[in-house]
Amino acid sequence: MRVTVEQIDRTREEELIVRCYDPSAAWVSSVTEAASDHRTICGWQEDTMHRLRLTEIFYFEVVDDRSFLYTQAAVFEAKEKLYEFERLCAGSALFRCSKSMILNAEKIDYVRPSLSGRFEAVLSNGEKAVVSRKYVADLKRMLGV
Amino acid sequence: MLMNNITLWVRRYVTVYGIIMLCTFFMCLLFNPTSELPVVTFFGRIMVFTLIALLSLAVYYSKDELTVKAWWVRTALHLLLLEAVLLPLAHFWGFWHSGTDILVYAGFILLAKALWHLVDYGLNAKTAAQINERIRKNRLEKRT
Repeated sequence: MRVTVEQIDRTREEELIVRCYDPSAAWVSSVTEAASDHRTICGWQEDTMHRLRLTEIFYFEVVDDRSFLYTQAAVFEAKEKLYEFERLCAGSALFRCSKSMILNAEKIDYVRPSLSGRFEAVLSNGEKAVVSRKYVADLKRMLGV
Repeated sequence: MLMNNITLWVRRYVTVYGIIMLCTFFMCLLFNPTSELPVVTFFGRIMVFTLIALLSLAVYYSKDELTVKAWWVRTALHLLLLEAVLLPLAHFWGFWHSGTDILVYAGFILLAKALWHLVDYGLNAKTAAQINERIRKNRLEKRT
């Protein structure tokens, strides 16, 4: 495989493009994960700002027009709207899972169906999140099912 | 996303059509085994029933994610809507005539709806199993 590293000046945005035969290959997820590990977002707890890595985030949720970031054991308020956060985490393990939530696929312990036609994702910290059927195809594609 | 939606609705249409056919078969077998049906008209009417059943799913539409309680309320509403639309239409097409018939027909609509949710649950259970298997494999790959 050919590896190209190009040095750019500070005026341009850093970018990683992976050209591969199989996007679900383990090495591809390792590379995108490593890249997304460097992406950060600001989370607020009262007046204190915290810089959070995308890989730390379990899910992003909008409740009553306010955005929240959930990590292993803490909740932060975010300034971003759902679509802005969705754009920010493109190419990472975070995916839109319902009308108001973006979930980190890497934090899913397992999923189970519910009678309401949706899926319940049990996360590694024991929390549960709803995955709409509409977005399950995205999760499958992301995991390589 | 568009392709996903098309696949989902085609799958729903085929599933509902199959369930209605199955219910009709058992309804005829149990209550009117000597009935003869005009094939083209009959299949066409079942297609219309299926279309109505799918259109009535609009009851579940919500701007926000439905809570479990809201889902149950809408499921009850959906059943009422199905009964309210399909019973008169079936009567108009001569699928039922007397007072006892209407109870049997209403019961089969309820059964068909329950079956639809069960089939849906089964398909989702299969998808969940595939996802869980993949998660397990990904974890193993990461460890090694």
